[in-house]
Amino acid sequence: MANTESELMLRMHGIKKSFGENEVLKGIDLTVARGEVLAIIGPSGSGKSTLLRCINRLEEIDGGSIEIEGEFLAVTDEEGHAAYAGAKKCRELLSRMGMVFQQFNLFPHMTVLENLLEAPIHVKGLAREEVLPVARELLNKVGLTGKEKAYPSELSGGQQQRVAIARALAMKPDIMLFDEPTSALDPELTGEVLKTMKELAAERMTMVVVTHEMAFAREAASHVIFMEGGHIVEQGAPESFFSNPKEGRTRAFLQNML
Amino acid sequence: MDKLLDTVLQMLEGSQITLEIFCITLVLALPLGMLVALGRLSPVRPLSRLLELYIWLMRGTPLMLQLLFVYFALPMVGVRLPDIAAALLAFTLNYAAYFAEIFRAGISAVPKGQYEAAKTLGMSYPLTMRRVIFPQVFRMVLPPVSNETINLVKDTSLVYILAMNDLLRVARTIVQREFDMTPFLIAAVFYLVMTAVLTWGFKKLEAHYGKY
Repeated sequence: MANTESELMLRMHGIKKSFGENEVLKGIDLTVARGEVLAIIGPSGSGKSTLLRCINRLEEIDGGSIEIEGEFLAVTDEEGHAAYAGAKKCRELLSRMGMVFQQFNLFPHMTVLENLLEAPIHVKGLAREEVLPVARELLNKVGLTGKEKAYPSELSGGQQQRVAIARALAMKPDIMLFDEPTSALDPELTGEVLKTMKELAAERMTMVVVTHEMAFAREAASHVIFMEGGHIVEQGAPESFFSNPKEGRTRAFLQNML
Repeated sequence: MDKLLDTVLQMLEGSQITLEIFCITLVLALPLGMLVALGRLSPVRPLSRLLELYIWLMRGTPLMLQLLFVYFALPMVGVRLPDIAAALLAFTLNYAAYFAEIFRAGISAVPKGQYEAAKTLGMSYPLTMRRVIFPQVFRMVLPPVSNETINLVKDTSLVYILAMNDLLRVARTIVQREFDMTPFLIAAVFYLVMTAVLTWGFKKLEAHYGKY
């Protein structure tokens, strides 16, 4: 148990990323162990979403290294340029991560069930009968049994986001990435999505969550990172982080959020 | 009465040329248009610029001029095509340009998040296009494609200047011979029937793909 507890799922070191002249990540280090929930908070423009998107290569880093379960996705060579692993290795490493987006990004022309079946069947090459029970179980888990045949447009935002979570889980990822999963939702719908995420956390799913939901970070996270201006300003366990922030900027930010 | 029947039969024969040009142009121009659209959106600049030039030429000059060019000017440089092939070449190149712009708009209208979601699910680019992007593009482009398709039915009458016996030319030949305007009316009805069938077909398609 102690061994699996300390198993490193994700390690990022010295991550740098610029968009043109604008340096959004100025050397970020972080590690996530198996079963940990890392919450990344910070004002908009702090680079937190970019950092998350660097983990699964939706953005490419300019410098630094990324390790997934002990294997390098990207390393920086002697000249200081980040180099990614070969195409096959990258595909394999990236397949261990699932992602949930702010805008859900469900496939609108497919039903809920088809959204869940799509990748397991067409990417993993599994048989439909094989995936079907898994998909139904996941829908049950996110509380959407009976919505199999609905199209995303027929669902509320909260329901769509829960389908998106189920769709990512259908690929059986080791790490789940959440990019402000409740930011596009009406306040009364955020609860159902956060509940699903808390259940996932309770099942020891490794998660990295960029969020504005301080209550969620406080309750469900095992570690909190506060970012501003492309730096990590402060981090720690949620209890101490929220009740006793050391940095002035963290205090100012948390005050604003309440 | 016999005369009318005879006229209608002659015109049905003329409709064959019309339908032939229509169908073959459509079958060739739609996929070609999709390839041109993908090329236009490609990050390879020279390819994109070249296709932009092609689209500008095709949309910037009259189809009539393009027909005359293929039919009369190409033979001068040694390219001699059979009549129908010449007409099909001009029609296909012209319509592919229009379809390309429709498809390009449709592909651009699919949100970036769709590509990202597909990518995080491990889908390759071809798989993403086939399973995620094209079905959404297809639905979006149906109305404009329907428009162009109906235009094509009527544009086929331009082959009239190439002395091909299409529906309109047959009608005019009879009118000139008999000093009777009825063939024009019949031609109008024929065109209307063809466009009505198309309108109905596209409506069905839109209903089918509009279910989400």
